Amino acid sequence: MAVAERLVVERASKTFGGGELTVFADLDLAVRDQESVCVLGPSGCGKTTLLRAMHGLVGLDEGRIVVDGSVVLRPRSNVAMVFQHFGLMPWKSVTANVAYGLELAGVARQEIAERVTRYVELVGLKGFERSYPHTLSGGMQQRVGLARALAMEPDILLMDEPFGSLDAQTREILQDELLSILQITGVRGGRAPATMVFITHSIEEAIALGDRIVVLSARPARIRETISVDIPRPRTVASVIAHPRFVELRDRCWRLLRERTA
Amino acid sequence: MTVGEAQRAAGTRAGALAAARRRRLRLDLGDWGVRIGSVLFVLAVWEFVAPRFNPLIIRPPTHIFRAFGELIANGELQEALGQSLREFSGGLVIALTLGILLGIASGRYRFVYNAIDPLVSALYSVPSVALVPLIAVAFKFQGDAPRIATVALFAIFPILINTQQGVRNVDRGLLEVAKAFNTSERRLWTDVIIPSAVPFLLAGVRLAIGRALIGMIVSEFLVGLVGLGYLIIVYENVFRIDRMFVPVIVVATMGIVLMGLVQWIEGRVAPWTRREQ
Ligand SMILES: Nc1ncnc2c1ncn2[C@@H]1O[C@H](COP(=O)(O)OP(=O)(O)OP(=O)(O)O)[C@@H](O)[C@H]1O
Ligand SMILES: [Mg+2]
Repeated sequence: MAVAERLVVERASKTFGGGELTVFADLDLAVRDQESVCVLGPSGCGKTTLLRAMHGLVGLDEGRIVVDGSVVLRPRSNVAMVFQHFGLMPWKSVTANVAYGLELAGVARQEIAERVTRYVELVGLKGFERSYPHTLSGGMQQRVGLARALAMEPDILLMDEPFGSLDAQTREILQDELLSILQITGVRGGRAPATMVFITHSIEEAIALGDRIVVLSARPARIRETISVDIPRPRTVASVIAHPRFVELRDRCWRLLRERTA
Repeated sequence: MTVGEAQRAAGTRAGALAAARRRRLRLDLGDWGVRIGSVLFVLAVWEFVAPRFNPLIIRPPTHIFRAFGELIANGELQEALGQSLREFSGGLVIALTLGILLGIASGRYRFVYNAIDPLVSALYSVPSVALVPLIAVAFKFQGDAPRIATVALFAIFPILINTQQGVRNVDRGLLEVAKAFNTSERRLWTDVIIPSAVPFLLAGVRLAIGRALIGMIVSEFLVGLVGLGYLIIVYENVFRIDRMFVPVIVVATMGIVLMGLVQWIEGRVAPWTRREQ
């Protein structure tokens, strides 16, 4: 498909409480096919709400969101989400949690079993198939959340601060693994890597994972600036941090986040 | 690389689990030792103290034990127990069915909630005993029906209210996950709502068992004198305190066994709620 723009946000505004709280206003954003866009913004500025709108989980007050040429009204099966709070069902084993989205999408039993095996292994959880979430560490739980989304073999991955609640070390390991997973083309049945929107409030994470970084202001969120991350792939967190452009990019993001809205 | 790590982790984890299981077993044995020891201690003190009092007021455990044998030998205990169990199980089944259905409906649908909430609050705050005569009249004092209805009345509220809370307290995050993966309404119930309500429901059942036993005895006192309640009254009236204690102990044992059973089921079906280590 020759779609240059996979996901487009057009003049989107969202309020809560009957207009009392404006979460974001007049937002424009276009994500190209296979591009990885990180959305960076202060806590509580409306990042989760924006991502939920992209998946059709909340409606907009104004504007629209278009995926593959049609307006998003409800979640679609070629888009998968990874949640800030992991969102695992405590009563389902790792296998059942990973199979969940596939079952709902009506994928054949045999195919579900194969994909579960493949993606559980890919996120490094082989041997834990029968474990329940409450017996796993936070990092391992989010690996399950990641496998559940990847198993859908989605065209678009929506990631809501997936590593935000993990300790620094685990977070870096998972960032590296995500980088390498996204670089494997075989992951999605031989198709090209997914398009990704990745929400974070960590500057380092945004630089490491993004082709572009969209910096949001405090609420009501507006786009302060869009920064291209001109660090070549394949990347690892260490190679990104060691890259000569890193410090400059970090300082620029940092200044944008610190500056008061004019 | 990560796969190797994970496998190694799985190996050490299996070892750790086995060790934890051994540790838990030892703990369990210790717990049970203390429990049994405490009961034996009370019985010993009782045995020792009782002969100093009037036998019309208190009898030692050995006498009660003998009375147990007598009541089994003449068949009175079996008959009374059978009668009481019929009322108890009939009432509990009704309470479970109605309580779960109404709990789910009122937890999910605002209309049902508004419709039944005032009634539930009113009936729950009136001491259930006060309603027993009403029930007796309503069922014309006939057969087991008024007693079964009394047991159901005593037991239904904790089940209903807990189920309702369970359904209402479903993690909003999980509802969102289900929506994000395009769940159907039916799968929303089986994947999310029912599993998250089950621990609440079982906690309600545990409370309901105690109340159902009270309802059983109270209805046997007030409506028609039968079953274990009848034995208590009859032997109290003839001052056979040793025999009077027999049905009391049987009811207590029913409570212990049934509540333990539900607790065990809770641990099995909802292991994530168990506080471990
Ligand atoms: N359903 C809702 N009803 C009312 N207000 C809401 C709702 N969801 C979010 N909000 C409000 O909208 C604002 C933005 O919330 P959101 O969760 O999108 O922020 P965020 O940028 O993801 O925050 P964080 O960094 O803490 O994850 C917050 O002030 C929040 O209280
Ligand atoms: Mg958020």
